[in-house]
Amino acid sequence: MARKLTRREVIAGAAVGAIGATGVYELVDRLTTSSPKRPVVGALPPEQHLLDGLRFVHQDGVEILVPPLHHEIVTARVAVDRTEILNAQGAFEETLASIEADYAPSPVGLGVTVAWGLPYFNRFVPGQSGRLIPFDRRARKSALLDARLFPSDPEDTLLEQNEVAILLRSDVRSNIDDALGRIQDTKLLEVTSLRRGFVGGGFEGRRSLPKQMAVAAGVRGADLIPDNAELFLGFTSTQRAALGPGKIANFETLGLVDLRGSDYFREGTHMHLSHITEDLEAWYVDFAYGERVASAFHPGLDVKPHTQAIPMGPNEVSTGADVRRHYRATGQIGHSAPIQTTSRLPVDLRGADGATYPKGTAIPIRADFNTLDNPFFFSSRPGEVQAEPVAGVHFVVFNPSSDDFHRNRLAMDGVLPDGKIALPPRDRGQGFNSILRTTHRQNFIVPPRRHRSFPLAEL
Amino acid sequence: MHGIYDVSVRVALTVVVTVGTLALLVVGCGSSSPKAAAPTPPAAPSKPTCAYPGGWQRLADRINADVYCPGWLPDPLTAQIRGKWNNMNSVDPDRSYLESFVWQETQVGINGVGGELHVNLRGYPGKTAIPRCLGGANDTTWISCFADPRGTVTANGLEATLYTVNQDADQWHVLLAWRHEGGLYTVSEHLAPPLNYRKLLVYLKHEFRSLVVISPSA
Repeated sequence: MARKLTRREVIAGAAVGAIGATGVYELVDRLTTSSPKRPVVGALPPEQHLLDGLRFVHQDGVEILVPPLHHEIVTARVAVDRTEILNAQGAFEETLASIEADYAPSPVGLGVTVAWGLPYFNRFVPGQSGRLIPFDRRARKSALLDARLFPSDPEDTLLEQNEVAILLRSDVRSNIDDALGRIQDTKLLEVTSLRRGFVGGGFEGRRSLPKQMAVAAGVRGADLIPDNAELFLGFTSTQRAALGPGKIANFETLGLVDLRGSDYFREGTHMHLSHITEDLEAWYVDFAYGERVASAFHPGLDVKPHTQAIPMGPNEVSTGADVRRHYRATGQIGHSAPIQTTSRLPVDLRGADGATYPKGTAIPIRADFNTLDNPFFFSSRPGEVQAEPVAGVHFVVFNPSSDDFHRNRLAMDGVLPDGKIALPPRDRGQGFNSILRTTHRQNFIVPPRRHRSFPLAEL
Repeated sequence: MHGIYDVSVRVALTVVVTVGTLALLVVGCGSSSPKAAAPTPPAAPSKPTCAYPGGWQRLADRINADVYCPGWLPDPLTAQIRGKWNNMNSVDPDRSYLESFVWQETQVGINGVGGELHVNLRGYPGKTAIPRCLGGANDTTWISCFADPRGTVTANGLEATLYTVNQDADQWHVLLAWRHEGGLYTVSEHLAPPLNYRKLLVYLKHEFRSLVVISPSA
């Protein structure tokens, strides 16, 4: 086992050169000597948020998507003024294209997703964005809204105002570091935070990265994480049938949003980003396995002990009536079940992409990953980064609009389409909310690949 | 306490057997505690001995069944029933017993010393099934008092199962349970600073290896 790195060493590394520092995450590469076998990838898709070359395996009889091992998110403020953004657009696109030329858009290479927040649109392109940012027909609001607090969020949850967020995903940590260096070299962005993490690595029977990293960091409760758990909480999150398939989260696919008579944002999507801490010791010492299943999914599931992948496909979807029945019987609503009341298709639907999506299909495409950041690896806010590593998740999800994400997140707190379930915030019966604490939130737009660099600047 | 410890309170909980105190204790077991340096257990004794046999003998006689006296508890705890660390000395009508030993440092001194050491010993004479406790989301569901087994530990001819999710006075404790002479017995340790899980396992196994069986007087 590699030497345990302290968080203080990590911070010292960050102080020397934040974007190039690897700190505790160097351990990740030492723990992963090889990338999982991956299929060959094709041409670049028009969507930035879709990764090619993903592999599927079976675990507990459930088909699982194998996510990239390493993740990093850079948030930033644009470092040029309005008069320079057209040039910046070209220069940044050149950098992104050069990265793509060197790395296939897949886990063996590098997935790059550039997302833009409201502060960017408001500061640089207010007129263009007012005309062209998609409009959510159901919510009767813009598809991009400021983040909001939810009932189970602590009052001090920070609703962030970053102008840009870049998600980097790869099985090879050095690919991410290389891309970060190139992005930093453009000097077009002032980094406001770096958020690092990892996921999976245990599907071949090895100890997973979350388990190894949590143990190495000495996080309380780490020793109780199942050895091959994909994520700290011990359940496999990336089962194929519980993730939005193909282009379903694209703005245009379900017709949820109006593209305002333009194709500018076609093949784009919306991204929510948050950081959430997880009390692993409470999860594993105060919740027996059966209650962990009931909390993560829903009460009443008869699951063999130690099962990590529990089917949540279209045939296992819960309705609002199911959630209320669980609540009446047990005082619990679970996590997946209430969210499914808003996150799954209520009817069969043929998408704008020509694909038929059956009733019960998941809409959100999650890309969350575990972290030991407290709350970030680096932050431009003085004093924000704390020395003690903390188990958590950088939650990343692609939905067709901010409101669509907000509906799902409200459902997680028992606010269902047909009324609220009267559970106090972070009640033990409210999924696993009692062991989670959200620290930061923000919404972004992910333009299509062709407009990923300083969108709308050319108009 | 004196000197640098003036601001701290070392709590020698008095001997009580009330349900109210038990509830307070359970709440305390779920809370976080300040940092402390954890003492290291001594090498396993070749033949464990019960340092305070009188109280344990009276307990065995009272329930008319074997009881287990801990030959080692982490410093400063001692295994003296009705001693200053014994905050729970309880026998139920069904003859099951709970002996609880706890040390708490509720505030942190300048050297960072603090935390809690809490060991429970139980016996359920004439019953080998794991008891049921009220638990779940609203403490309204009957669930197994000891759950999430994680392997076994063997010592002195006893094989104990390790349970990591436990209820009532053993909530937030890690527990070893074994069967003996038609009864179920347990020893558990609170997972709280100064202990982490690994250190706790070292302590718990040492406590298990050091147990001394005390039989009722003829």
